[in-house]
Amino acid sequence: MLSVFVPTRWMPVPARFGAVLWLSFLLAAVATGIFFSAIDPEELRFCVTFPEVSRTGAYTIGFFLFWLLTAASGVLAVAFTYPPASESGTETPHVDD
Amino acid sequence: MLMTEPTPDPSTQASPANVEQALYEKRQKIYPREVHGTFAALRTAAVFTLLGLFYGLPWLSWDGRQAVLFDLPARKFYVFGLTFWPQDFLLLTLLLMMGALSLFLFTALAGRLWCGYACPQTVWTEVFLWMERLVEGNRQQQMKLDQAPWSARKFRIKATKQLLWVSFAAWTGFSFVAFFTPAAKLGQELATFSVGPWETFWMVFYGFATYGNAGFLREQVCKYMCPYARFQSAMFDKDTLIISYDKERGDPRGSRKAGADPKARGLGDCINCTMCVQVCPTGIDIRNGLQYECIGCSACVDVCNDVMAKMNYAPNLIRYTTQHAMDGKPSRIIRPRVLVYSGLLAAVGLFFLYLLFSRSPLALDVIRDRNQLYRERAGKIENVYTLKVLNLADHAREFHVTADGIEELELSMANGAISVPAGGVLDVPVVLRAEEDDLEAVSTTVHFTLTAADDAALKFTHDAKFLGPRP
Repeated sequence: MLSVFVPTRWMPVPARFGAVLWLSFLLAAVATGIFFSAIDPEELRFCVTFPEVSRTGAYTIGFFLFWLLTAASGVLAVAFTYPPASESGTETPHVDD
Repeated sequence: MLMTEPTPDPSTQASPANVEQALYEKRQKIYPREVHGTFAALRTAAVFTLLGLFYGLPWLSWDGRQAVLFDLPARKFYVFGLTFWPQDFLLLTLLLMMGALSLFLFTALAGRLWCGYACPQTVWTEVFLWMERLVEGNRQQQMKLDQAPWSARKFRIKATKQLLWVSFAAWTGFSFVAFFTPAAKLGQELATFSVGPWETFWMVFYGFATYGNAGFLREQVCKYMCPYARFQSAMFDKDTLIISYDKERGDPRGSRKAGADPKARGLGDCINCTMCVQVCPTGIDIRNGLQYECIGCSACVDVCNDVMAKMNYAPNLIRYTTQHAMDGKPSRIIRPRVLVYSGLLAAVGLFFLYLLFSRSPLALDVIRDRNQLYRERAGKIENVYTLKVLNLADHAREFHVTADGIEELELSMANGAISVPAGGVLDVPVVLRAEEDDLEAVSTTVHFTLTAADDAALKFTHDAKFLGPRP
């Protein structure tokens, strides 16, 4: 079983995903703000060809790409903080209180 | 130590088997009992003020436009008389830093004030709870209804609640988007079913988030998802205001007849009515000591004071206090961490004000022509640009533009004078011309300088690339 799906006493599995999603949401919002205040999506047209979207559309897509990135890194970080099954000796990693 | 896990009540102390079970146990729904009192009134006032601002601001006008409008499509933020541009991003950053520092300062002084009174999670949950009470009745009625088998009546009540919740969430989504698209225009578009796809998406997204967070997740957001809840204890010290049960005075707890002398029965002032547990939105027992789940809403303070009044006991068995006060030591307000937080806050605040009032009243953005890199005409290399001339002043102004960076660089544009209305942007197409021999690289940096016609000291320079053939 993937270690992100192992519950602990402290936190049920859905709550763990909730935490990752919400924290990555906040960071994605900050990243979107910084990115688009420096870069106008209209100017990107000059060097990149992408389907015709409005600025609002570009901001939205940008935000979700950032969110995808931050959430992915969050989930991976959570998964990597568990000992691998071989280390813990059981299929389900041992979890301390 | 502060913020540790609660001391478990011996009667409910879990054996390892129980712990195992608790691991997988489904979350118990919390039915917070309605509470009245000083702090509940404060929270209600905060709810009306904050949500009043949220739902009301988009409808406020200023100088013929929406007073607070984050016009993302036009890349301009309007806040009453001020206009902010992307280049003012530093101001926004400073504002966020001030927000964070204020949060640190208030946390150090008075604990989780933010959580209890101002956090959107608290404020919206409070409104969703009101609607739930309005439809389903009080705590007992709600619990009874949830336990009862499905019936036409239960369905009707639940459907009414959902209808209220969803409508309120939809209105919330609308108000959110109205900060970015003018509310009047958005309302019109909504009435004619012509709202743009992105606006529709954000309305649904924000509405759904409100509904999910305030209707269902509630205290779980604070317990599992909130970063502030996890690090706020780092700002605490023994002089920070916390909500605490007076164990000395209250224990041993026990029920008693009205008028009975607790001392004769060997009891403290706590009558064990569990009202403090029933009102708690995170479902904890404050009598077990300070717990990380406590959001400092002080509902238990209010309800316990009611009970104390009924019993003719002194109030504040549960109260705002400090660790030092509980240990019988004096509490201090001024202490190093408070000075550090307020010093930083003042410094950042002053810097913010300085930047705000010394903003350049003119700005320039240069966009290269997208269609061609360069063209050759009459033996010279030409580059085409669009200058975005920003007049950030509150009156119309004329500007001149010059360019340098290459020897004998020529600049030409359709009309000599650039006249921009107050707070306006003017697109000015210009052509730069240079001899091919003067170009030393494929790309050369050129500098456009914008000067106000009425004040030669007002200048703004922006760099751009001049492209040419390989030399």
